[in-house]
Amino acid sequence: MAAPPDVGAMAPTTAETSWFCCGAGWGPCGSAGGGACGNCQSGSRHCAWPNTSDACFDITRPDRCGDNLLRRTCGHTFYVEHLCGTTEIAVQIADCGPQTDLWCGEQSCCSGNCATNRLLDLTPSAYSAIGNLSSGIMPVRIRS
Amino acid sequence: MDSLGRRKFLTGAVLGTTAATVVGASTMGSFAPEAAAGQRRPLDVEAGAHDPNFIEGRITGLRKGMLMVTSSDRSMHRIHLTGATSVWKLRPTSSDAAKVGDGLYARGVRMPDGTLAADAVWLNIVNLQVHITSIGRNVMHLDHHGDRIVGHVVAGTTAAVYNSTPAVSDLSLLQVGKHAQVIGAWRPDTNEVDLATVYAAA
Repeated sequence: MAAPPDVGAMAPTTAETSWFCCGAGWGPCGSAGGGACGNCQSGSRHCAWPNTSDACFDITRPDRCGDNLLRRTCGHTFYVEHLCGTTEIAVQIADCGPQTDLWCGEQSCCSGNCATNRLLDLTPSAYSAIGNLSSGIMPVRIRS
Repeated sequence: MDSLGRRKFLTGAVLGTTAATVVGASTMGSFAPEAAAGQRRPLDVEAGAHDPNFIEGRITGLRKGMLMVTSSDRSMHRIHLTGATSVWKLRPTSSDAAKVGDGLYARGVRMPDGTLAADAVWLNIVNLQVHITSIGRNVMHLDHHGDRIVGHVVAGTTAAVYNSTPAVSDLSLLQVGKHAQVIGAWRPDTNEVDLATVYAAA
């Protein structure tokens, strides 16, 4: 059986994404802090990636869901669009996450197009540029 | 609607030249044929950059059609609510739901005077990765990275999504000790949230 493709390379892939707050914030976000990279802000085009370091990977474990994610570190840029949208945004890695292995096999769909597994989290600024925060999760296409 | 059209639309709404009966604009981008054909638009904001069309903060004042907001970095903003603004507070609602003290995220278009004409405003919205520590009658106790959160079940609104299946009102499959993702509305200045959607692996 062929090995799964390396995600994080130039070729686009599909995945689920959610959103997370970071930096200064109100309510439960007040204690979020600047993330693993120290500079994460809810109002900036930032993201979290599950394989930013060995320590990060040990927590998120995307391999348990069959995803072979490349190591991408703080400041790396991904381009993301909703699987059923046409607006592409650019985001920089500023944190470690999501915890992919908690949601193995989970699927989000739109108009009959589906994406599986949580491989990226976006800040509210980034998520709301291509989706609705109240949706909580959405299918996206990611390229590097 | 492309970004120029959206800007004109929201500007018209703020200035009163757009019909106030229109419903919120899409945040998912254009549905125009040329967009579907694969033409990419230039990036609206560079990777890692602050987003000028997005505001995070708390409402410090209300005036007809306008929210005064102080961000967590202490910067102050004015946000126009128009007939085209979609408002969420636990559920889709109207601009009357906004109260002083509410937290918010807002997305829209910057006007020449620096105010934001809002496409969408989310009041008190939180998205929490939690573990369920106990389940009671109409309440769930949650652990959020070591902080205790009280989640209130709201009849007719709270829904659960189990293993990617469509949302249902039946919460009986939620289990103590399991992880979950919660979309909810924070009750300002408390550790309590009203639950909108609970995502769980049943």
